[in-house]
Amino acid sequence: MRTKQEYLIRYKDGNLYCELADIWIDPSKPVKKALITHAHFDHFTFGCEEYISTKETAILLKERIGDNIKIKTFEYGEEFKINGIIISFHPSGHILGSSQIRFIFAEEKWLISGDFKLQKDQTCKQYEIVKTDYLISECTFGLPIFKWDESNKIANDISKWITNSPEKTSLLFCYSLGKAQRLLNEISQTDFKGNIYSHGSIHKMNNSYRELGIDIKDTIKIENKKKIDELKGSLILLPPSLSKGSYLKNFKNIQTAFASGWMSIRALRKRSGYDKGFAISDHADWDGILEVVKNSEAKNVFFHHGDSEALSKYLVEKESINVLLFGK
Amino acid sequence: MSLKKFSELFGDLDSINSTNNKIEILKNYFLSNDPIDNSWAIYLLTGKSNKRFISGRYLKNLFSQIYEYPQWLIDTCYLKVGDSAEVITLLLKNKTNSRRKKLSNISLNELLSKTIPALSKLNEEEKNLEIKNLWETLPEDEHLIFNKILTGTFRVGVSIGLITKSISKLINIDEEIISHRLMGDFKPSIDSYEFLINKNINLQELNSKPFPFLLANTIEDKIFKNSINDFQFEWKYDGIRMQLIKRSGNVSLWTRGQELVNESFPELVEKMSYIKDDFVLDGELLVWNFKEQIAFDFSLLQKRINRKSPTRSIQIKYPIIFIAYDLLEINGRDIREIKLENRRIELEKYFSKWQNKTENNISDIFKICDLIFPNDWPDALTYKEKSRENNTEGLIIKKKTSTYSSGRKKGIWWKYKVDPMQLDAVLIYAKGGSGRRAGLYTDYSFALWKDKELIKFASAYSGLTNIEIKELDKWIRKNTIEKFGPVRSLKPEMVFEISFEKIQISKRHKSGIAVRFPRITKWRKDKKINDADSLENAYELMKKIS
Repeated sequence: MRTKQEYLIRYKDGNLYCELADIWIDPSKPVKKALITHAHFDHFTFGCEEYISTKETAILLKERIGDNIKIKTFEYGEEFKINGIIISFHPSGHILGSSQIRFIFAEEKWLISGDFKLQKDQTCKQYEIVKTDYLISECTFGLPIFKWDESNKIANDISKWITNSPEKTSLLFCYSLGKAQRLLNEISQTDFKGNIYSHGSIHKMNNSYRELGIDIKDTIKIENKKKIDELKGSLILLPPSLSKGSYLKNFKNIQTAFASGWMSIRALRKRSGYDKGFAISDHADWDGILEVVKNSEAKNVFFHHGDSEALSKYLVEKESINVLLFGK
Repeated sequence: MSLKKFSELFGDLDSINSTNNKIEILKNYFLSNDPIDNSWAIYLLTGKSNKRFISGRYLKNLFSQIYEYPQWLIDTCYLKVGDSAEVITLLLKNKTNSRRKKLSNISLNELLSKTIPALSKLNEEEKNLEIKNLWETLPEDEHLIFNKILTGTFRVGVSIGLITKSISKLINIDEEIISHRLMGDFKPSIDSYEFLINKNINLQELNSKPFPFLLANTIEDKIFKNSINDFQFEWKYDGIRMQLIKRSGNVSLWTRGQELVNESFPELVEKMSYIKDDFVLDGELLVWNFKEQIAFDFSLLQKRINRKSPTRSIQIKYPIIFIAYDLLEINGRDIREIKLENRRIELEKYFSKWQNKTENNISDIFKICDLIFPNDWPDALTYKEKSRENNTEGLIIKKKTSTYSSGRKKGIWWKYKVDPMQLDAVLIYAKGGSGRRAGLYTDYSFALWKDKELIKFASAYSGLTNIEIKELDKWIRKNTIEKFGPVRSLKPEMVFEISFEKIQISKRHKSGIAVRFPRITKWRKDKKINDADSLENAYELMKKIS
């Protein structure tokens, strides 16, 4: 048994770090070299000397922090070497460009899952099974109460929610990168044929997706809309940060909803302050996490980004998988 | 016509905040469903009965057994969700998808009048098998309602008032009539629904039912601008609010919670039936200290509330009294539209008649409330301060010209409660909440100083805003010393002002004191833990009051 310091990848200052390559994964503070799994704000920070990611993530990253960063890109599956360690990106199905990262060193494989989902999503590459010895997995929804419905069912629920209240303006809050585009893609395949507007931050990401060859329905930038009365019966996509405060006063006769995996729990739905919640997530549910652990064939698993106690105990008891804890 | 429709109704009502929309949705539901299903829907929505067929614990054990799920995992999930019925619903999603049999289409009536009652006649093995079968044949969207009904935890944000409004709109009849029809016992049946939506008003049919209770508002400053002579003043008793009805010779006791409680207070029913007139009285039921002519503590009344057919010795040990403060109907004549001051004259007139002309003595169980006559508002305040001496909670102030209309109409009755007692205490434990507060630490324990030690003296759940709860929850997670199951012991750092109604010696508590209705009234961020009160302060407070 090795000590924690001897693991190829470990936790340092709250971030994943590989000492042998002096490289950080999704660091929360500026470092020399950062591998970025995907372009969500909680997975990168400004001011790193060098970023390494997939091509898609690089473009989204630049859209968010500006063009003047040093960034090296690789294709999915393309192997590159740092200090003798073979590193490669693999699709994680979370959002466009998102990836798992595999390290191979001294015949030992390590896999960092990144954020991932197994559900079909036409706006990004499907999750790819990667075999490994050590798996570092997220477990945001690591309890069996989380079981996602098919996304087209959720999309139909959303469509019904809008069309059942033709007098109202429907405000759907969702993360501006990934979730918004997935929702647009799904909703455009439902019976809802009314106007769709989106907030500037979402509009920007829609354009980036389109430039990267993803077919996203055209939406109208809500900032360009002056006559509020014309919004009746239409759908507006907004980032969750605008749900509190005075922004909503710009509209008349509204109904609000939040699209997030957490919305499957009634207490959270009620507490959220939205009228309605749609349980759709870009993370894996309980079964999804178990499947990934199993398919990876990992003998040793670490969890982060979530409450891992129950999941760990379950894997140890039921699946005899060795779940390890990071020394933080 | 089905459980499906009712599940959809629940989903809609649960995700809509606008009252008008809820009324519209209810109206449409009633229009498009069978009378019998409607009557069950009303029964469930008004919380007329929440009979528990099996416990949440039983449900969780059963799930664990059937699907070979570790109990600890279900318990962990429960901490996140806060409701057994919902946890099992969410877990079932993970289980029944693949084993679906042919789905059943069951009506609300069938489920509630046949399927579920039949469960209690089965032995345990058969019962478990039947529940499993129902889980696997009911459509997924109906699991939540089924589990909630099974565990007696069906609740949704709909008030009786809202149901009343929607039926009133449905048939275009005054809300007050509907409200009256909905009072008291409601047995789901086609007849009871037809009665509810009957467009002809027949007062005979409303015979044994109480009137909608008139409720008091919290005192407002503007009332002090009025002349003191415009108001009637009474003590605010801490008992059970009740309408005492005698119609066609039959006596019925109805609580404000719309329960018929004749069986708990047979001595009152018997004595009142001696009175020759028919009447409806509004008043308070108390356990009475006849020697000192004041009410006993509410805790003695609790010994009577849930006990049906009390023995003679219980009746003597906890002697009750009904104190009437209003007369609403006399010999079939509804006098609610008469001014309060005139109703009071009638009340006094009839009371003295009954006292003198009833053969058996009734004054050992029935009296009318004394009025208070303050000279001016400061004088009223003095009375209020004295209310603890006679075991009352303060004053009730009623506008003399008011009529007795239903609900909590503004500007008619006010309660002027004695200021609560307060102590500043230190937060030392927190426990996870349930229901809407699941996943947050919302149950708190507070301590007072004894020398250099903090001794727990009260637990409180209410009083913080949602924003404060979230903030405190974050702080709790960061400042936990130890975890014992769902309870965390905390770094003593936060001081809160705790208000309560009563303080008394208690041998059961380590602190030696017990307080009633403790609640948080202020987060004293301005105070350090050394500024918190000591047990000695609490004892002083107790002395001052007694």
